[in-house]
Amino acid sequence: MTAADVRGHDPGDGRVWTPSAARTPAFSADVPGRPALPALAPDRGHAAPDWSEVVEHFREGLVICDADGVVRQVSPVAERLLPEVVPGALLAAAGVTGLVAGGDFTHHGRRLRARRMPLSAGRSCWYVEDVTEIVSRADALLAERARSAFLAVVGEKLGNPLHPDRAAAAVVRLAVPTLAEVAVLVLAPRSGRSRWWRASRGDDEMPTVDSGVLAAPDLPPAIAEGLLGAEPHAVDWLVEQAVEAGWLPGLTSVEACARVVPLPGREAPVGVLLVARRATRWYDEEDVDLVRAFAARAGAALTTAVLYRDQAEVADTLQASLVPVEPAEATGVQWGTAYRPAQAGLRIGGDFYGAHRLPDGGSVFFLGDVSGKGVEAAVFTGQLRQCLHALHRVEAHPARLLRLLNDALLETTQAHDRGRFATMVLGVVRPHRDGGLTLALAGGGHLPPLVLRNSGAVEQVPLSGMLVGVVPDPRVGEVTVRLEPGETCLLYSDGITEARGGRRGHEQFGPERLVNAVTDCQRMPAPALAERIEQVTCDWLGHGDHDDIAVLALRATGPGGRTPRHLHAVPDPAATGTRGPRG
Amino acid sequence: MSAPTTRAELTDVWSGYLESLQEADEYGAIEVATGLLEDGVPAERVLLDLVAPAQAEVGERWARNEWSVAQEHAATHISEQVVAAVAAYAAPRPTRGRIVVACMDGEWHALPPRLVAEVLRLRGWQVTFLGASVPAAHLVSYLHRHDAHAVALACALPMRLPHAHRMIEACRRSDVPVVVGGRGFGVDGRWARRLGVAWAPDAPSAADLVADEPALRRVPPARLSHLADDEYASLVKRRGELIDEAVADLRERVPSARDYTSAQWDSTIGDLGYILDFLAAALYVDDSTLFTEFVDWLVAVLTSRGVPAGAVGATLDQYARALRDFPRATRFLARGRASVAAAGSAATG
Repeated sequence: MTAADVRGHDPGDGRVWTPSAARTPAFSADVPGRPALPALAPDRGHAAPDWSEVVEHFREGLVICDADGVVRQVSPVAERLLPEVVPGALLAAAGVTGLVAGGDFTHHGRRLRARRMPLSAGRSCWYVEDVTEIVSRADALLAERARSAFLAVVGEKLGNPLHPDRAAAAVVRLAVPTLAEVAVLVLAPRSGRSRWWRASRGDDEMPTVDSGVLAAPDLPPAIAEGLLGAEPHAVDWLVEQAVEAGWLPGLTSVEACARVVPLPGREAPVGVLLVARRATRWYDEEDVDLVRAFAARAGAALTTAVLYRDQAEVADTLQASLVPVEPAEATGVQWGTAYRPAQAGLRIGGDFYGAHRLPDGGSVFFLGDVSGKGVEAAVFTGQLRQCLHALHRVEAHPARLLRLLNDALLETTQAHDRGRFATMVLGVVRPHRDGGLTLALAGGGHLPPLVLRNSGAVEQVPLSGMLVGVVPDPRVGEVTVRLEPGETCLLYSDGITEARGGRRGHEQFGPERLVNAVTDCQRMPAPALAERIEQVTCDWLGHGDHDDIAVLALRATGPGGRTPRHLHAVPDPAATGTRGPRG
Repeated sequence: MSAPTTRAELTDVWSGYLESLQEADEYGAIEVATGLLEDGVPAERVLLDLVAPAQAEVGERWARNEWSVAQEHAATHISEQVVAAVAAYAAPRPTRGRIVVACMDGEWHALPPRLVAEVLRLRGWQVTFLGASVPAAHLVSYLHRHDAHAVALACALPMRLPHAHRMIEACRRSDVPVVVGGRGFGVDGRWARRLGVAWAPDAPSAADLVADEPALRRVPPARLSHLADDEYASLVKRRGELIDEAVADLRERVPSARDYTSAQWDSTIGDLGYILDFLAAALYVDDSTLFTEFVDWLVAVLTSRGVPAGAVGATLDQYARALRDFPRATRFLARGRASVAAAGSAATG
């Protein structure tokens, strides 16, 4: 029906839409008698517009009632939208509920928006507009915006967890409640078993997540099909299968609707996502598109996580073989160690230490530092430690052992055409009957060890020598140190003395501060002493970058394995000097 | 075993245990703990009612200058050995998921989180204890390689809060819920609330909290809009410069400072730095009490070592002059200054 068709039905006198000065003061007040719309072709001789003609093209329909509520005029558009409303009858009798309070209402399947304006002489006019399309467009826009926002959050949240289990749990948690009341993620089987994660909507909107394992043959057929890349369409038996698998607690197959979407992987799907909710909200095409978009992101995240896991497993195994091994227990010796690689995420570096027991009851021990940084340096420390592990069985004299090591290293570095070298202190410790220890030390260009005497003195061991792995037949320093029960020998790497920190962050820690840090610590157990040095160094560094840090401390435990008790447990406060006086 | 008997047994051995710590007698301390276990005292009680309070006592004795820092370290080492012995004795079988326990980067007070780790282990969790001062990169790479149900992070010193916040965020990005604990978050956990992270006052509460996953994930967001004034960032940037000025002021103000040994200067510069770090942390969480509590503690520690409270006050004045363009810092310094004055008059009065 067009405006032209209804013109003949116009119940009025054909001039009702012409505004009169009395009825519309807004027009008459400032432009009395002047054409309201002068643009309307005055050259054709029409001084005033034909209002009935103009009104026909309004989007809003008009219903005019008199003071008694009786409908007097109905515009063609209003007639079409509100066929019940007829002139001469009470508006209330038409039974259109939306024409009481106004606002948006649904009428004959259309979305209408009505507003009432009072006119002169107690009359009133209802303006009624069909807003069905505007509302649906706005709804579509809002829904699209919500979908984009949801996918943006999903992208952000799924980008971070690199552990496959974490990523899987995140996938199902994110799917609830936007996509489903229950979401189940089944990963592709690994050695014949499939792991699944499920999130279900809890009482307080927070999804609860649980997980389980299924043998590959026990997977519901729809899931198995999905893992091959198909998206099953037979929706009914899909729900039944999910219920049978026990995945939809509190939902029966008639109450629920479900969809299965594969998660794209590198070659085959990395897993399958099953979403289910009450049948009151079916999955329409747009919903399924959203689930697919979600599944694409989830698939990418899981693929990355699985890839990372596979790489990390290899890296872990290799790293584990390169992390320093704690010294084996030895009679009369208390070991203390600290190790802090420069690259914290890597956990390995170019510093190394270790100890091996000798058949005669003594131990060979060492601490050193190789040239270079990071993984390459760590690999070199691994070769060095393996060399020592083998060589100490044929040679237990420290200086000769160090020369053997030098020859072995020279051979490998020449073979690989790479100048790699190390500095190290290597020693053999032998216990005495009285609980003391004898340390035979050999120096290969490393920082000389410190000895903490029972007297409180801190001595530097005069140990020199040349780098290991540079020249054949190097000069090796040799010193023998005797530790009384309770005394400690301290080996450390240059990551400590060269730590840059302080006020401005570029002052070196230096040997003097190290000596200060261990002064009055002669009664400390070796592990506590090693940790203290690590702590003082890290405090000095602030949060700045640092080189690899390693400490190896040996303490003579005394007879019977027990360290001697303190004779003067509470030292004279004046002598402790832990803090300088101020002000 | 009833609770009163447990308490009585613990009271009986308390002084002997402390003596073992004082004498650095590792075996004696372990014997006391295992003796209680053999008498049927639950492992959790031994950890929380013997080891934990004894360690708190150790800290106080150091603060009162009764014990040297070496003694404190030795006693802490022995406490750790006792915890290891108790854990080995109880040897619980893990039946629940993995919890990662770690100290914040730069945080060396490893015993309280170690106790939390053992309590969680006793309650059936599979616990990984990463130890003291765990770099954020290390923690995150661990979380990427091992699935964790939750991370428990400890922070004993409030000055680490800005770093703690970064670490919490790093864990969150790995989608692992975080629970924090330790005095660093305030006695009532108020700074944890400010940073928007779940907080537990003690080990049993931490164990209850990690068992309640919705509660772990249901935390109100951080309230840090005050950081927009840039006072925190500017203070951190100017740290070195501010310490230099304070040292210059000290040299001028106190003639005897010229005779300081280099070790005394290091320790003085360390204290000057701590004051700024605590001030920065107070600005970060926008709470002057963080700074005032630290100033009170510093005054007590220095007074017990013969340094008058006025020395701290003069330093705060110097910083207040240097930071006069920072309204929040100025306000916090003024409150710290007032607290020093109160402590000074209490000492003389």
